[in-house]
Amino acid sequence: MGNMSEKGEVNLTGAKQSNGVWLVKVPKYLAQQWDKAKEKGEVGKITIGKKQGKSQVCFSLNEELTSVGAAQESDTPLKVPREHPFTMNSLGGQTLAVFSQGEKDEISLEGMVVHRAECRPVITDNYMKLKKVQMKESLKLQRLSQQLERAITTVFKPVANHNFNVEYEKKKKSEGKMVRAERQVVLDMLFSAFEKHQYYNIKDLVDITKQPVTYLKEIMREIGTYHSKGAHKSMWELKAEYRHYQSAEEEEEMQTV
Amino acid sequence: MASLGSSSSSGTEYIVRVPKNTSKKYNIMAFNAGDKVNCSTWTQARMERDMSARKIYGEEETPEGAAGSEFGKKQREEARRKKYGIVTREFKVEDQPWILKVNGKAGKRFKGLKKGGVTENASYYIFTQCPDGAFEAFPVHGWYNFTPVAKHRTLTAEEAEEEWGRRNKVVNHFSIMLQRRLREQTAGDEEEDESEKSTKKKKSGGRGSDLRIHDLEDDFEMSSEDSDNSGEDGEGKTKAKNETGKGKSKKKKNNDKDALEDSDDGDYEGLEVDYMSDESSSDEEPEKGKPSKGEDLPKGIDEASESEEESEEEKQNEEEAKEEEEEEEAKKTLAQTEKKKKKDSSGESDSSDDSDIEGETASALFMAKKRTPPKRAGGRGSAGSSRTGSRPGTPSIDSAATSNTLRAAASKLEQGKRQTQGPGTDSPAAKRLKMDPSSQSPAPSGKTTPQPPSGKSTPSSSDVQLTEEAVRRYLIRKPMTTKDLLKKFQTKRTGLSSEKTVNVLAQILKRLNPERKNVNDKMHFYLTE
Repeated sequence: MGNMSEKGEVNLTGAKQSNGVWLVKVPKYLAQQWDKAKEKGEVGKITIGKKQGKSQVCFSLNEELTSVGAAQESDTPLKVPREHPFTMNSLGGQTLAVFSQGEKDEISLEGMVVHRAECRPVITDNYMKLKKVQMKESLKLQRLSQQLERAITTVFKPVANHNFNVEYEKKKKSEGKMVRAERQVVLDMLFSAFEKHQYYNIKDLVDITKQPVTYLKEIMREIGTYHSKGAHKSMWELKAEYRHYQSAEEEEEMQTV
Repeated sequence: MASLGSSSSSGTEYIVRVPKNTSKKYNIMAFNAGDKVNCSTWTQARMERDMSARKIYGEEETPEGAAGSEFGKKQREEARRKKYGIVTREFKVEDQPWILKVNGKAGKRFKGLKKGGVTENASYYIFTQCPDGAFEAFPVHGWYNFTPVAKHRTLTAEEAEEEWGRRNKVVNHFSIMLQRRLREQTAGDEEEDESEKSTKKKKSGGRGSDLRIHDLEDDFEMSSEDSDNSGEDGEGKTKAKNETGKGKSKKKKNNDKDALEDSDDGDYEGLEVDYMSDESSSDEEPEKGKPSKGEDLPKGIDEASESEEESEEEKQNEEEAKEEEEEEEAKKTLAQTEKKKKKDSSGESDSSDDSDIEGETASALFMAKKRTPPKRAGGRGSAGSSRTGSRPGTPSIDSAATSNTLRAAASKLEQGKRQTQGPGTDSPAAKRLKMDPSSQSPAPSGKTTPQPPSGKSTPSSSDVQLTEEAVRRYLIRKPMTTKDLLKKFQTKRTGLSSEKTVNVLAQILKRLNPERKNVNDKMHFYLTE
């Protein structure tokens, strides 16, 4: 138990000791209030008593946690009820165990559930109001349609040349036509590209090398093959003698053109 | 409602704390009541996430970078998915089921599936009592329903369907799994210990490694179980057997197949069986094929049945069969014809002999077989003569009907048989037949006059003889070519070989010195009287 548990190994101390726990179903708003608890974590008190032979359990929320919304304000109209009797249920034969998952994925069995309980508030007007508010909140749609006051006129005007197009043409002009570089230079670029990936589209190659398509195709025809069908459709690949994919560091052997 | 004040009832108060800084996440492990799980009895347990679903969710692994990869593949794939609106659900580890193994390899196994919707509307808290008396409440993050996993082998869906289809026939259902296991064992470890195999009845030719569709969860177990196949199976099997009934399992071992119902009376009624007959007709068929004179065949058989009746006449006239094949064919065909005769004449007492004929070899056929040919012969002789007399229109050539092998064969065999009566020697059939014309005491009179053998130049058998007379007759009637003439004097009928026939014919023609005429570019001979 002291040593590091293996991954997946379940810590069974809880089961062996048969720690009995209660499984309590708590309303959402109450859980929310509990989240607001202070550092110490005290949220309230439980009173267990016997009445007419049956045990009665009641939970009483701390005063400071009763306010909904702003913290520490008990003057706001909305207040969460304080008294919550528990309804104790039997397990019905089901075996419920509790296991916990730690940060490092260590799993330990904490104990067995001996009682199931439901936490119900005492119904008061206050409570009813609270519920009303809650319902209204939940009925609000996430998506709303908004009415516009003024129609938008700017988007649909006919344009001689769209902005996007204008920019594109400018860019094209500034870059100019692609110039054929030295064959060797282009080959170097190609080989380094093919080191990274095995299959390339001609468009991508053009993009990488910035060479005109015909020139590039010419070179590719020399050093590579084109797959017109199959897995890597319409892609270029280096010829077998040019490629060594086993070790990435091995230099490609090139035939001097 | 009743509010409990601490004063009014005899209750005790406890403080409830909700620890803030807890790093542990609490979950519920729910077992079914019927499984009777007692966690305190567990000595050891292991629990892991079941990651088998990752295979579905994870896309095909394409090599990234270097060999086999495409430039921009990822982007393209993503664009494609967006275009088609394919939404792939993420593989969340949190939501994967748990696999719980209790008490090691031999213990139980559980699978825990996450129950959805637990934390949506209400929160579950675990209240534990601390040593100081206060309660601590921990929120529950997830609820997992754990169900026991069957360790014994189960049938796949396909197999189950199969067995379902056979459920009416199969009486012993316990052997289904046994068979399956045996099949797998033969398929899996063929090189395993023979001793192991011998303990269980092996059936060769099992299903082998068929395509099986498993639930993915089984992948998990299959791989681990395969290695333990031979080992565990022994234990597992015995376990299963014990559970299912000891007596039955023992009996099971002795069954090769699943037990089938006893067949009642009517069960075999509709069955199709091969044609059952005393005389195996299948033997006849290839033999029938042999005498390959196709068009004459039917005629031959029909006439062969009568051949015995007429064989009287032909016997003496029949030439010895020079070719051995003929004899063999003859034998066989005679066998057939005999059978036919058999079928026709019920009163014959040679049925046993007939059946004997089939099985015997060539020589044996002609061995001493006490028959009653005289009776037959006699009967046939008379019948034959009258018979042939009643045949009006057919030219003598045809009436003799030895234009085909069958009849010749049939008649020759008859002769052969008759011979056994007489000389009763074991000399082979061929010899006997050859000697036949010369040595045979003339059998009851036939129609055609027996001609004494006078050497090869003058054939001594059959109605059709290659004589000058015959040739003259033909040539007077109409002009014929040499070919036509040869056709008339077929070697089989005259008993001469083709060479001899040609020679003899040539000589005859020389003597006759017929006139020549050219008709259709062919040389025809003719005579004018």
